[in-house]
Amino acid sequence: MAIAVSARSLVKKFGRREVLHGVDFDVEAGTVFGVIGPNGAGKTTTMRCLLDIIRPSGGEVRVLGVDPRRGGPELRRRIGYLPGELFLEGRVTGRRLLAHYEAISGPVPAGRIDALAERLALDLDRHTRKLSKGNKQKLGLVQAFMHQPELLVLDEPTSGLDPLVQQEFHAMVREARHRGQTIFLSSHVLSEVQQTADTVAILRDGRIITVESVTGLREGAVRRVRFTAHGIAARDAVALLTGVPGVGQVEVLEADGAVTLSATLEGAIQPLVRMLGQLELTDLVLEEPDLEEAVLRMYAGPWEALR
Amino acid sequence: MKTSLPLFRRAFFDPWRSTLAWAAGLAAAAFLYLPLYPSIGGSAQMQELMDALPVEMTKALNYDQIATGPGYTQATLFGLLGFLLMTIASVAWGAAAVGGDEESGQLELTLAHGVRRVQVVLERALALLLRVLILAGVVFVLVSLLNGPSQLGIEPDNLAGATVLFAGLALLSGTAALCAGTVTGRRTHGISAGAAVGVLGYVFNAVGRQSQDVEWLLDISPYHWAYGNSPVVNGADWAAAAWLWGLSAALVAIAAVALERRDVGV
Repeated sequence: MAIAVSARSLVKKFGRREVLHGVDFDVEAGTVFGVIGPNGAGKTTTMRCLLDIIRPSGGEVRVLGVDPRRGGPELRRRIGYLPGELFLEGRVTGRRLLAHYEAISGPVPAGRIDALAERLALDLDRHTRKLSKGNKQKLGLVQAFMHQPELLVLDEPTSGLDPLVQQEFHAMVREARHRGQTIFLSSHVLSEVQQTADTVAILRDGRIITVESVTGLREGAVRRVRFTAHGIAARDAVALLTGVPGVGQVEVLEADGAVTLSATLEGAIQPLVRMLGQLELTDLVLEEPDLEEAVLRMYAGPWEALR
Repeated sequence: MKTSLPLFRRAFFDPWRSTLAWAAGLAAAAFLYLPLYPSIGGSAQMQELMDALPVEMTKALNYDQIATGPGYTQATLFGLLGFLLMTIASVAWGAAAVGGDEESGQLELTLAHGVRRVQVVLERALALLLRVLILAGVVFVLVSLLNGPSQLGIEPDNLAGATVLFAGLALLSGTAALCAGTVTGRRTHGISAGAAVGVLGYVFNAVGRQSQDVEWLLDISPYHWAYGNSPVVNGADWAAAAWLWGLSAALVAIAAVALERRDVGV
């Protein structure tokens, strides 16, 4: 499959402070690639390198097959960019501002701006500096999506948006992907990336800790399981459960009459299901995996190891 | 929709309120000073007052030439209040053009679009140039209109030449602000540099005229390059005009090269 964006040993220094210490990743064309990481991890710096807003100190970047340093305006017309912190000042209406950005980006299909504004419930005739943070963000999204670019680079795209508009944004990302556009987005919360992305890269302190498909992340994540069974002693139930690979933190919640146990499960669920089949269950809860927790452990893990 | 010079259009047309306000300020300055000439500048009483003032003071204010209509116009409008207003406007616009835009975070988004950095600097410098020319044009037209009624007796050719120098002097402060703002990415640095050119130019002229020992100060004063021979009275020194405009062009070129070579928004 074609690669839309790639970075090899990407290094960025600001003076003596090194912000990116050799970042590597590949984004397949037509997929949604999410970068998550705590504030200051280097997400914004990486994105700015893709747009040639800042220049790498070392390593190699390719965007749509071109080095952004050499791609020039022709390359950037093929990209839609939403900066992490969007500042829109001046006494102009949203419509006028978008007309300006339209003049300096790729061709925008007729009626596209109004259609996007309507989807996001954005009033284009208000002055931009009077807009709330969420409405400015919507204007930024329209500006990034309007020319249907081959690549969308979106830095914290849902910040400031209310949940309904976030849903609409997720739908827009899915549609863009369906049209074959590639989306590179960042977030500091996983749940957002999880809903839209095919692949997730975790960035911490200027390094990629892991690149994983969302499915893979889900498999590696920790689930919580709780069940109630009849006709078995608590001791035996605990022994059975502890025998299942990946099970930890077994707790007995109730032991008189029916036995209620809770535990965590990491990895495959099949062995657990097989074991549960032997029991006479009256209740079973297997929760959605908590990816957030999985990621937090990844943030923390190597850090602990370093100390 | 493809329009030519999209960045220029935005930089020139969107802030029309600001352009208009400064034009109104300059018009007010012209209407304040010039109609008073028959009763003040040319009168014998005024000349007596001038003679009574310390000669250092009249020299510093360029009021030593105030007894004639062209000298009065040179000293009051072109040399003082008009110069001040033009310089402030030009410096404010120049500092905001790139440095201010970067500091407010908006330049990043512009550069992420299909534009070249050199193009950003040049189109915005063009907007600065045209706005300064509009202000200078307003002054030219108003002085021309008031020339007769206020009995100023200014030669039209001299007025045209003086206006070219007037615009060139303000533009030099503005392009210094644009250049420093673009190189540093900070609006305040742009304002400092632009104000330094304007204020030091004025001060060096005022001090340099006091005695021969400090005459060298005149050589490094843009204000003196422009106004040393009182262009409203004697006509423009075209070499000085070319020098002022050429320096502005060089400062814009430096800004364009500097922006091309550095990281933005860090």
